[in-house]
Amino acid sequence: MSSPSQDRRADEKLGQILGRVGSVRTRLNSLALQHAIFYTLAIVVAGGAAVFAGAYLLPPLAFLVGTSALVIIGCAGIARAVGAAWRMRASAVRAAAIADDRAELKGRLSTIVALANHQTRGSLWSYLIEDTLGYQDQFAAARIERRRVSRAIYPLAAAIVLAAVALPISKIKHAPQIAPDSGQDDLTVDLDDLHLRSADPGDESGMQVTADAATMRRLEDKLARESAAGGAAGGNSLSQLVNRARDMAGHLQSKLTGQQMASKQRLNLRLADAGGDQDQNEIHRAPETQKNRHSDIAGQFEQDQPKSNQGMNLPPEDDSRRPNSQPSPSGNGESGAEASSGKDSPGNQDDSATDREIQQSGENGSNGGAAHGIGADPDSLFGAPAASKLGTEGFEIAIEARPVDHGAKGAGHAYVAPKVRTRLSPNQEPDEPVARAAVPAEDRTTVKRVFER
Amino acid sequence: MSEVQAETPTVADFARTFRRIQAEIHKLIIGHEQAVEELLSALFAGGHVLIEGVPGTGKTTLVKTLGLALNLSFNRIQFTVDLMPADITGTRVILSGDDGRREFTFQPGPVFCHILLGDEINRATPKTQSALLEAMAELQVTVSGTTYRLKPPYFVMATLNPIEMEGTYPLPEAQLDRFLFKVRLNYPDEGELTRIISSTTGPEEAGIEAVFHATEAPERIEALKRLVREVMAAPAMEIYAARLVRATQPQNSRFVADEARGVHDEMVNRYVMFGSSPRGAQALILGAKVRALLDGRANIAREDIERVAVAALAHRIMLNYAALSDGIDAAHIVERVIKSVRAAQV
Repeated sequence: MSSPSQDRRADEKLGQILGRVGSVRTRLNSLALQHAIFYTLAIVVAGGAAVFAGAYLLPPLAFLVGTSALVIIGCAGIARAVGAAWRMRASAVRAAAIADDRAELKGRLSTIVALANHQTRGSLWSYLIEDTLGYQDQFAAARIERRRVSRAIYPLAAAIVLAAVALPISKIKHAPQIAPDSGQDDLTVDLDDLHLRSADPGDESGMQVTADAATMRRLEDKLARESAAGGAAGGNSLSQLVNRARDMAGHLQSKLTGQQMASKQRLNLRLADAGGDQDQNEIHRAPETQKNRHSDIAGQFEQDQPKSNQGMNLPPEDDSRRPNSQPSPSGNGESGAEASSGKDSPGNQDDSATDREIQQSGENGSNGGAAHGIGADPDSLFGAPAASKLGTEGFEIAIEARPVDHGAKGAGHAYVAPKVRTRLSPNQEPDEPVARAAVPAEDRTTVKRVFER
Repeated sequence: MSEVQAETPTVADFARTFRRIQAEIHKLIIGHEQAVEELLSALFAGGHVLIEGVPGTGKTTLVKTLGLALNLSFNRIQFTVDLMPADITGTRVILSGDDGRREFTFQPGPVFCHILLGDEINRATPKTQSALLEAMAELQVTVSGTTYRLKPPYFVMATLNPIEMEGTYPLPEAQLDRFLFKVRLNYPDEGELTRIISSTTGPEEAGIEAVFHATEAPERIEALKRLVREVMAAPAMEIYAARLVRATQPQNSRFVADEARGVHDEMVNRYVMFGSSPRGAQALILGAKVRALLDGRANIAREDIERVAVAALAHRIMLNYAALSDGIDAAHIVERVIKSVRAAQV
C-alpha cells in the first residue's frame, strides 16, 4: 500500500496526466468547433453564390424553386454539420479514450480519468499513474491529434473559390434583358385600356401616375371594379399563388441583381380619360416609341369589326376582356387568362371566328399577330388603306417591363406574361403586321385566291 | 523450491509467478498454451474451470501438474453413475474414542482440499453433481446441518468428455454457471504430438518443481488473488462487458425485459435459447484483470475482455436445435457477439 508522500507525488503526476489529457481535449474540441463553423460558412457561401447566380440566370419561378431547395438543403447541411461537430466534441473521458486508442495505451488514460475523482482508488493506483506517466510522450496533444485546423476548411475554401468564379461568370454570361435606357420614361395611356389591380404589399416600383381629377376618380372606380371582379371570379387559387410566388421571386431577383428598380423608376404614367372631350381612342406615346411602331391596324378593325370601335366606348370591364387586351404588368392573370383561354365575354359573343383568331394570336404577345389573323380572312382582305398611326386597339401598354418567362401558358387561368417594350435594335424590324394597303381591283382576285388556299 | 515474492506482491511479481507456473506445467503438458493460461487465469481470478476435451488430450495430467506446481493439496474424484453426494462432501460415521465412547464424527470427503479434480463430471447423476455447488460457490459444505468451511484457495477443475455421451448426465445450467471458464483441449498438432511422444515414452520423466513452499503456498496464492481484485476497471470497460453479456441474450427471450436496447446479432436470435447470466460479466472482468496484470497493467482494456470472452461466455450460452443442426457452436456465437458490440461501440 502507498504512503501519504507517495500519494502526494502520485497526485502531482496525476495532475500532469490530466493536464495532457486536457490539452488533447482542447484540441479535439477546437477541431469540432472549426468543423461546425467551416462547414456552416461553406454552405452559406456556396448557397449564397448559387442563389446570386440563379438570380441572374434563372427565370423567376425556377429561381424561387431553386432557392427554396437550396435553403432547405443548406439548413439540413448546417444542421448536419453542427450535429457532427456536437458528436465530435470530446469530454475528458472521451479525449482519454481517443488518446488511448491512438497512443495504444490500452485504456490507461481512460481508467485514470474515470477514476481520478474516486475516493477509493485501490493499491494499484500509484502504479497505474507511474506506469502511464512513462508513456507521457506518446499522449502529447500534438501526437494524438496533429491537426490544428479542421479539414472542413477545404470545403470552405472550395465554396469561396466557387463563389469567386461563379458570380462573375453569371454576370458576364447573362446581360440584363432590360436596356438601361429604354426611353420609356413618359407614357400617356388611356384609362380604358388599362387593366388594374391592387399593388402587391411592399411594391415600391416608383411608378408615377398623373391625371386630372376626373380621370383619377375614374381610375379609383375602375380599380374598385377590377378588384371586385377579381374577387368574384375567385379564379384559380393555385394560379394566383404561382403568380404571387413569381412576383416575389422576381422582386427578390430584382433586389439581388439591381436591375428592376432602375427600369421602373424611369416610367412616368400619365392617364387619359377616353370618355372625356379629348380624342377618345387616342393614346399618346412617347415619340420614340411611336417611331418603333409604324404599323397601324386600326383601319382593319374599323372595317372588319365595327364593334371593336364601339368597344372602346364600352364600360371598362367589357373592354378589359378584349382579346388583345393585356393583363396589367403587375401580373393580374385573371383577365389575361380569360383572354388566352378564349373564354367569350359578353361583349364579344357576336364576334366571328376572326375574333377567336385574335384571341389565339393574342397569346403571341403582339398586336401584329392579331392583325395578321384578321387579314387571313379572305372575306375581309380588302378595305380602306390604314393610316400610319396606331389605333387605340392596336397596342398594349406594359407598365412593368421586366424579363419573364411564359410558363403555364396552356392552363385555363394561365399566367400571361406582361409585355416587354424595349427599344428595338436599329437592325430589327418591329413585330407588327404590314399595314393595310390599297390593292388594285385587278389583283384582288389573285390575292383572294392565295389567301383562300 | 524457490522464493517467489514478498508479502505484498506487485504487478511484476504476479506476472513472474504466473509465467513460472506456466513454465512448470508445460514441462509435462505439450501445447495447450491458451488452455493453460485460461486455467491459471481462472485460478487467480478465484473461479473454477470446466475442462472439455476428447480422451487422451491431457485433461487429468494438466490438473495434476497444476497441483504439483502450486504445491497445494490435491484430490481427484472419478465421477461415476453410482457416486453419491456423501462420497464427495463426506459423511458422519461412528467412531470409537480413546475412552471407548462411540460418537458420530464427520469424515471429510475429497472436496476438502485446495485443488479438486472432478474427472468426467458428467457421468455422475445431477444429484451428485450438485453436491459440488455449495463448495464451489460458497467455499463451504453442509453435512447433516453442520457447515464446514473449505480452506482457500479452493479450485475445482472438472473434466468433460464430449464424445462419450452414452450414460452421461449433462451438467445443469446452474452447475455450469458456477464455472468461471470453460477450457477446451483440442487435439495437438503434429509438432506437439511429436514432442509428447518423445517426452512421455523415454526413460526420464519430467520433474515438476513447485513454485511455492507447501506452507506458504495458500497465502501466496491468496495474495495474488487479492492483487487481481485490485486491478482497476474503468466504467467504460464494465459497460463493455455488460453489453457483451446482454448481446448474447436473444431478443425474443421472455427473460429479456428491455429487448429494444442494446446490441443484438441476428445469429444470436436465431441460434441461442438462453444467453449468459450476470456471472458471465463477472467472469469477463475478473479474467480481464488477470490478463491486464500479465501485461503489466493495473487497468483492464477492451482487448483483455475480448481475450477471455469465449472462455467466460461460451459455456453459459444455451443453443437451440437449429444451432446443433447447423453446426454452430457457442464459441462462434461469442465471436460474432464481440464483433457486433465492437462495431456498435465504434
